[in-house]
Amino acid sequence: MVEERAREKAGSEFEPLIVAYCCNWCSYAGADLAGTSRFEYPTNIRIVRIMCTGRMDPTLVLETLRIGADGVLIAGCHPGDCHYQKGNFMMEKRFDYLKKAVKNVGIEPERVRLEWISASEGGKWAALVREMTEEIKQLGPSPFRHMQIPKKTDAMIDAFKSQRLRWVVGRSQIRVEIDEGKYRQTVDAIMRDEIERHMMTGALKEKGPLTAEELAQLTGLQPSKIVQHLIALRKDGKVSEAGEKNNQYLYQLV
Amino acid sequence: MEHEPRVGVFVCSCGTNIGGVVNVQEVAEYAKTIPHVKHADYNLYTCSEAGLTAIKESVKKHNLNRVVVASCTPRTHEPLFRAACKEAGLNPYLFEMANIREHDSWVHPHESQKATQKAKDIVRMAVAKAALLEPQTEPEVEVKGSSLVVGAGVAGMTAALSMANQGFQVNLIEKEKEPGGMAQKLYKLYPTLVDASEVIEPLTEGVKSHKNIELATSTILKEVSGYVGNFSIVLTGPEGDRELKVGTIIVAPGSSNYTPPKGLYEYGLNDHVITQREFDEKLRKGEIGEPERIVMIQCVGARKGEIRPSELEAFPKSDTAELLRKILKARKDEGWPYCSRICCMNTIKNAILIKERSPKTDVVVLFGDLRVYKEYEDFYRKARDLEVRFIRHIEEARPEIVQTSEGKLQVMAYDALYGMEVNFPAEWVVLSTPLIPSKDEIMLARMLKIPIATDGFLMEAHLKLRPVDTNVDGIFIAGTVSGPKDVSESIISGEAAAARASILMGNGKVKTEAITAVVDEEQCIGCGLCEEICPYGAPKIEEGKSKIREILCRGCGSCAAECPKRAITMRHYRDDQILAQVKALMIPESSKEVAQ
Repeated sequence: MVEERAREKAGSEFEPLIVAYCCNWCSYAGADLAGTSRFEYPTNIRIVRIMCTGRMDPTLVLETLRIGADGVLIAGCHPGDCHYQKGNFMMEKRFDYLKKAVKNVGIEPERVRLEWISASEGGKWAALVREMTEEIKQLGPSPFRHMQIPKKTDAMIDAFKSQRLRWVVGRSQIRVEIDEGKYRQTVDAIMRDEIERHMMTGALKEKGPLTAEELAQLTGLQPSKIVQHLIALRKDGKVSEAGEKNNQYLYQLV
Repeated sequence: MEHEPRVGVFVCSCGTNIGGVVNVQEVAEYAKTIPHVKHADYNLYTCSEAGLTAIKESVKKHNLNRVVVASCTPRTHEPLFRAACKEAGLNPYLFEMANIREHDSWVHPHESQKATQKAKDIVRMAVAKAALLEPQTEPEVEVKGSSLVVGAGVAGMTAALSMANQGFQVNLIEKEKEPGGMAQKLYKLYPTLVDASEVIEPLTEGVKSHKNIELATSTILKEVSGYVGNFSIVLTGPEGDRELKVGTIIVAPGSSNYTPPKGLYEYGLNDHVITQREFDEKLRKGEIGEPERIVMIQCVGARKGEIRPSELEAFPKSDTAELLRKILKARKDEGWPYCSRICCMNTIKNAILIKERSPKTDVVVLFGDLRVYKEYEDFYRKARDLEVRFIRHIEEARPEIVQTSEGKLQVMAYDALYGMEVNFPAEWVVLSTPLIPSKDEIMLARMLKIPIATDGFLMEAHLKLRPVDTNVDGIFIAGTVSGPKDVSESIISGEAAAARASILMGNGKVKTEAITAVVDEEQCIGCGLCEEICPYGAPKIEEGKSKIREILCRGCGSCAAECPKRAITMRHYRDDQILAQVKALMIPESSKEVAQ
């Protein structure tokens, strides 16, 4: 392991690296029990202990992928068993959005998993690790760091750090007065918007002032979408006009 | 960070438990090459006296300010090693554990080489986190020597008297006009057949006359705020609202008795179909006489399958009270999923009472399963000796009751032992119904933030290890609020809850969680989302900023994960501390061939 990961060595079989975030009270204990019971499973998993899955900010999951994990497993207590009453429910809710976002930027959603493992489910833990290792072996190395469209994954992480998306996801944890299905649709739309806008701001950051047309080319988004986002970004005070180029306005980051 | 991290790594062989698979010497040698590591060694048992001494001596000798032990699970040994760090003069939170036994050697016994590699990874992750650790303190709070007991039934009164006798001030409240709870409605108690009043009266006399107990009847809990050691209470009684402050709370509001829906076994349609509780009452009043036959049916509304998952899914998952309200509604007609555990003995007791008074009465008990434990087996034999007839039916063929045109009751059942239908008239049909959660109790749980289990009863902090504690520090549960109990078990739980509360009040102080949330006030915009999602009510918006009341915070981190401004972080589990472990995993910092 002192050398670069074995998977990058030519010729050898791909050995995925999976990072598992286990809650202290149920899943970490479940993984302990797998050990106590001597259930064998592949060596590809590395466990990070957290107190509760409620702690798992989606950005932590995405950063883990950006750092280079081939898969991320989040394991918590079964519904109703959370040591902190409802941390797992909160994780479940934000996980829906997280998974959609991962899919949206073109990463196989199977690379992120949320599972319930109780302190008594050592066998389930071992089986899960076996299954997930096999699945990710089939998928191959994570494309996360090598996405073609510039900074699409970075844009997703920035979107999950943005106040707007965090606010609507956070609000969904509280009883929403409007229809839950409609609310989800709204969050999904905002999530897509934020990813796209961060792709645009990412491009502006990297390349300097750009026209709407150039932004469309760089991000692969429809020009009409670009214009919509530019209006919003201008109102938010995030971009401003910066002269003209070929009879088109140039835009820059504020 | 004021001082440069100086990490000591101690790799444990755990006899052959780790050393038999993982090359611990190699791991220790490798650890020396990890940045910040100033000392690394391995030994046979790090948790032994010799191992702990080695840690303490190395801390001094190498001037270490962080300790990593690579051994077993922190869930069992972390307190031990933290204590060793403390003895060596280090803050116990400057310690990190690398689990290379449960998560490595024990699960990869046949892959020695890979397991050794994995152990190195795990150690490197632990060192990366250790380097970023900060000292933490467990805040100490004062505990007032007073308690509020909610519910003056057997459990509540027992708890109140126990604490009062130890010199603590007790406020005992009861929503009914008189203390006594469900037990005062009972007649005789199994297995001694003493009058329930013989148990209740000394208790009610005791709580009424004790100088340390203030009993308030027709009074309910209206509001609770504060935290362990210092709860602020608002009570509502006949004289209006009253405020008081207490150190601990014991919740003992009891439960309800399941009432069958009208028409089930002709209940509510024929006066001679009654529940076991109503039968108790009639026995006491002598209204049963010497009938020819009494039929008792067990498990009416109990042990009826699981709560369906669809039922759980239909509700906003974070809202337990809503869920329970729905379950309660559904259960009204369908019955409850669990065994109420006291009904079998209660039935046998009433059967014996009748047989002793009227030996000629034919007493028939129809049951699916009969559960008599401990000495109650003798009690059951006594009933058989008195010629009580126990007839087992199969679950798929429950008995049927029909009313003849003259209003007489006819019982039809399938005797599983004889494999044939039995059919006989009965003067009385008595239904054994379970103890069930009450709405009041669920609302109370919600106010106190005590979780409710899926069966509707209040949840203990741990079913086996902490049966009278709740997830809320300083609040304990006693009696049938956490599940069906008979009188003696209620007394036991009352005594137990009082003992647990007295430990806190006797010490006069308690240490609370160190791993709590921290707000970056510059980032905070005071949106109040944290306030709304926290299950413990720890954050509060004051002057436009979120303030975390550390005493209330339990450290789950949900607020940190949801804060729109990412202004909240968790002590000991900061984002950078978490991600440092992942980074350490990907790029071996010590490697000379570091890629990228």
